[in-house]
Amino acid sequence: MKIPVDVSVVHEGERIRKEDMYVELGGPKVSSKGELVRVRKPGEIRDGNVEVEGPDFDKLKEGGRYPFAIFVEVAGKNVEEDLEAVIERRIHDYCNYVEGFMHLNQRYDIWCRLSKKSYERGFNTLKYLGQALITLFKAELPIIEKIQVTFITDEKKVEAFVNDARKIYEARDARARALSEEEVDTFYGCVLCQSFAPTHFCVITPDRISLCGSINWFDGRAAARVDPKGPNFAIPKGELIDEVNGEYSGVNKVVKERSQGETERFYLHSIFNFPHTSCGCFESIAFYIPEVDGVGVVHRDYIGETVLGVPFSTLATQTGGGKQVEGFLGMAIEYMRSPKFLQADGGWNRMVWLPKSVKERVIDDIPAELRDKIATEEDATDIAALKGFLKERGHPVVERWREVEAVEVPELEVMPVGAPGGIKIILQNAKIHAEKVIIKKIK
Amino acid sequence: MKGTKFKIDEFESDLIKATGLEITVGRIVEEEWEEILGPTPMPSVTDLRKWDFALLNRYKPMYAPLCDLCCLCTYGKCDLSDGKKGACGIDIGAQQGRIVLLACCIGAAAHGGHARHIVEHLIEEHGDMPIDMGKNVEVEAPLVRLIAGIMPKKLSDLLEPLEYAEGELMHSLSATHTGQEGYFTDFESKALHVSMTDQLLMEIADVAQISALGFPKGDPGAPLVDIGFGSIDTKKPVILCIGHNVVPGAEVINYLRDHDLYDKVEVAGICCTAHDLTRYDKGAKIVGPLSKQLQFVRTGIADVIIVDEQCVRADVLQEARKTGAAVIATNDKICLGLPDRTKDSPKDVIDNLLGGAPGALILDAEKVGEVAVRTAIKLSETRKRRALNVVKEAKKCIQCGLCIRECHNNLDIPRGMEKAAKGDLSLLSEIYELCIGCGRCENVCSKEIPIVSLLGGAAKEITRKERYKVRSGRGPIQDTEIRNVGSPIVLGEIPGVVAFVGCPNYAGSSKEIAEMAEIFLSRRYIVTTSGCAAMDIAMYKDEEGKTLYEKYPGNFDAGCLSNVGSCVSNAHIAGAAIKIASIFAHRNLRGNYEEIADYILNRVGAVGVAWGAMSQKAASIATGFNRLGVPVILGPRGAKYRRTYLGRPDKSEDWMVYNARTGEKVQISPSPEYLLYVAESKEEAIVSIAKNCIRPNDTTKGRQIKLTHYIDLHKRYFGKMPEDIAMYIRTEADIPITLKAEIMKILKAEKWEPRITPDPTLLERLCRKKEVK
Repeated sequence: MKIPVDVSVVHEGERIRKEDMYVELGGPKVSSKGELVRVRKPGEIRDGNVEVEGPDFDKLKEGGRYPFAIFVEVAGKNVEEDLEAVIERRIHDYCNYVEGFMHLNQRYDIWCRLSKKSYERGFNTLKYLGQALITLFKAELPIIEKIQVTFITDEKKVEAFVNDARKIYEARDARARALSEEEVDTFYGCVLCQSFAPTHFCVITPDRISLCGSINWFDGRAAARVDPKGPNFAIPKGELIDEVNGEYSGVNKVVKERSQGETERFYLHSIFNFPHTSCGCFESIAFYIPEVDGVGVVHRDYIGETVLGVPFSTLATQTGGGKQVEGFLGMAIEYMRSPKFLQADGGWNRMVWLPKSVKERVIDDIPAELRDKIATEEDATDIAALKGFLKERGHPVVERWREVEAVEVPELEVMPVGAPGGIKIILQNAKIHAEKVIIKKIK
Repeated sequence: MKGTKFKIDEFESDLIKATGLEITVGRIVEEEWEEILGPTPMPSVTDLRKWDFALLNRYKPMYAPLCDLCCLCTYGKCDLSDGKKGACGIDIGAQQGRIVLLACCIGAAAHGGHARHIVEHLIEEHGDMPIDMGKNVEVEAPLVRLIAGIMPKKLSDLLEPLEYAEGELMHSLSATHTGQEGYFTDFESKALHVSMTDQLLMEIADVAQISALGFPKGDPGAPLVDIGFGSIDTKKPVILCIGHNVVPGAEVINYLRDHDLYDKVEVAGICCTAHDLTRYDKGAKIVGPLSKQLQFVRTGIADVIIVDEQCVRADVLQEARKTGAAVIATNDKICLGLPDRTKDSPKDVIDNLLGGAPGALILDAEKVGEVAVRTAIKLSETRKRRALNVVKEAKKCIQCGLCIRECHNNLDIPRGMEKAAKGDLSLLSEIYELCIGCGRCENVCSKEIPIVSLLGGAAKEITRKERYKVRSGRGPIQDTEIRNVGSPIVLGEIPGVVAFVGCPNYAGSSKEIAEMAEIFLSRRYIVTTSGCAAMDIAMYKDEEGKTLYEKYPGNFDAGCLSNVGSCVSNAHIAGAAIKIASIFAHRNLRGNYEEIADYILNRVGAVGVAWGAMSQKAASIATGFNRLGVPVILGPRGAKYRRTYLGRPDKSEDWMVYNARTGEKVQISPSPEYLLYVAESKEEAIVSIAKNCIRPNDTTKGRQIKLTHYIDLHKRYFGKMPEDIAMYIRTEADIPITLKAEIMKILKAEKWEPRITPDPTLLERLCRKKEVK
């Protein structure tokens, strides 16, 4: 059965406009739709089989919108339930490789279209789509030994399917939330960015997503399973050296190897002493603000100046390039949702400033009592205003100021962003002319 | 602080005793820049010779002499064919290198003259303003930092690198004198060197004008402005600016603003001056690229023509005479034999021009503004635009065929004339679309028919509707935009960066460049452009009537089309590549050229395309990109530069790099395959662009997507799988998943073996461990 259209990554960006669509499956105007991947026992799967429950393309009316479900079942020695979500996200990519087929969103929100052109070229059954999915899944994820695909367009059946799927999504999310560094013995490393930043690499744990925000622990696990020698690899976490900072012997060992000897140790949850390094594609930066002894965050899309008086781009020059710079940490915004978010530095209790749009994104993860104590650009655009704001709202860092005043702790060594103190004179190409230089032996 | 001298009469320590010690210091500078100074601040002609030789060793110059004689001194003409040497001892290889060097010197000198003028003028007019490239642009002048090793803060800080570049230009040019350099690779090394300073000079010019004239500062949303003959309101007086230096044109706009005349006069431009006029004021109009110059002047729409510098037709004065337009020359580079009226009162000059004088030389931009506006207003009232009777003129044609023989593009003018004589203008109108506007056909016409005017006359209905949108030049790429694309590049979502630049000397339709751009835009490459190429990309609409600028956003991102601006804005494209190294790898830029060029060559999947490259500036621009490690693809006319830099994929020993992790030498895929390459057709160029985005550092996901596009385009245009595909597969993970079965079969047949992906460099000194023997 030869698929009558091209299947290739080059079709990924293709959008099918309303005028060009043959039918729409799922989408905002249809209430029941969804997709799901489940791991099965090998005996439960008819490998390569595609079923269509309900009317197929040739039975659907042109221009119509229909309920739709995609159900993929897989089996394999190394395929475990934890990888379901990762495999499921590929459905989106692979559907879009099919010329004239568009797939948007995920889970219970999918929105697909088939183009008139592809239908006319003979793409008249979902079996072709199933066949493409099966081929692509097996080619990219050879750990999948058996796979079957079921498409559902029958309204009642889609409804029932989605109801069941929702329970599975919820259970999966609950498991992902509960999973922590303590519960696993393996973290994952990512060296994709070494193609541009040769000494940087990311440590990905259940509590710490890659700093670009693209690869979580499950993604890392799946990729490492598929290609253990590839850019995502397993890191046995080893001994827990420092619980608060998040320092592990296994991580340190790999840090040395993979950073080409540039870095010796990582604290996974601190911006001080031995912070995690970054490449250049971090979504945001956590930065220390010595004047208030607090931490600020700014993200890449923030236009304008941070509370330090400099924009993201200036702070970013201090961060990145695989260099460990105390007081600056490149990170994903998602990391702010981690229960271990900068726990060594006080976590949210130390967070004093962040852009409003980021605050809105993570508001549910900010402890309720701190939500109105953390400033945004609307509350403070300079240090003086920030100090006033924190004092007025009774932010926990204010307590630290008193401690500092009382105990006089030594100043933290943090790279200043503004003008440095003192000057240095460098004599470049200095020509000193001395008519006679006499060297005398000292008796 | 200026130089100082101090004297220590007597000094004594445990170690030294000195008497009458004098220390002179050239300059004392206060420095806030903590970055360590690299090995080659302001490199001399030979400082980077080793790097050049590393490049030339892999990408050997291939010469295609247009002429095998040398006529540069009185020994000559010397015949250099068949291994013969000239009277001075030079052989044909060295002579070709010499001609290339000469072209690059001329190109760099043009940008240098421009930069010198604009920096001095802006300091004089606006004071020593701070350099400001806008928000999110931390590295304000990547080339100045990289090459000169300084961080400029204000306009006057640009003078030192400017002076440096001028000095290097002198040394480089002097090497072309008889009895100087004698070996081709050294000529090439000097060409690479002077072209590197050319990039520096372009950056200096654009940084200065962006800072002082309020141009868009790295703004992806720079305004969409009008382009095309049809966008000009011919009911108003029209002032046309031709060239590259915006200063006189800007003064015209200032005069209009100051005298409440802004809406009453049209200010239009041709070539880069037009880009920069719209950057100065979005109400200015762009007529079109260089190829439209003769056509537009002939229409007689312009009342006053202001010429500044570069790419102005030498016969502009004669052409203007035919239409009664007044010409104002404004720059020492182009005086056109006109009387110098700089010191005369505007009224006298205007009266003189209205009285029938063909033009004036005015080397005072402010005065140009006043004279141009007042003259245009008056002239538009009295000057009559003559209509041309195309059919009557065409009837004069005797079908001698001299025109078609003279035409670069072999356009069938005789048949067009034949049809036109019978009243059918369709073929002449078609020829107009393909004409590059050089006018050589007219020189040879035995009946003295104004062929170019006839083409324009025949296409009048089309040109009247020629109204498009182009995004005004945005200037630099923001640092944050570069950060945004880092992750999608390594994750294999963005296959590469393609820059369409250069002049409009096309071998085919000017639409080809827009077609090429759209192919890469729809495939989610990062597409950037500048100069005349950016204009031709605009002069094309899809079925919905939208230009590419209206269809694709102006960001530096996947599937986006960013117009950086004029010729000198090309520096920002180089700047973006340089910033990748500083942003992602924290490589120092300061005086660190070799390391950064090595980084770009091995990691940054960017390709330049100069589809209609014509000028010596285009030669130096391309060569400058080459030294920085960026491959450039030229259109068919590019062969006339006589030299390409071609790699030899069949010689595996040419494709070795150090793996910086271990110090070992390892084999890489032949990528980029070329540094300078001439594509004979649009299709060949498209496939070659996709292929030359491949780099040795690609992640497997990145390589997959690059190969997917290479294979897909190759199959589309050449009907089959590329024959060299196995060379580009390092591990099975590099194979595009949709093509796995097909490619595995090829790999098996070719007895393919997997290879590692190194941390690639050509510089042994960057290795972390030395090779163990």
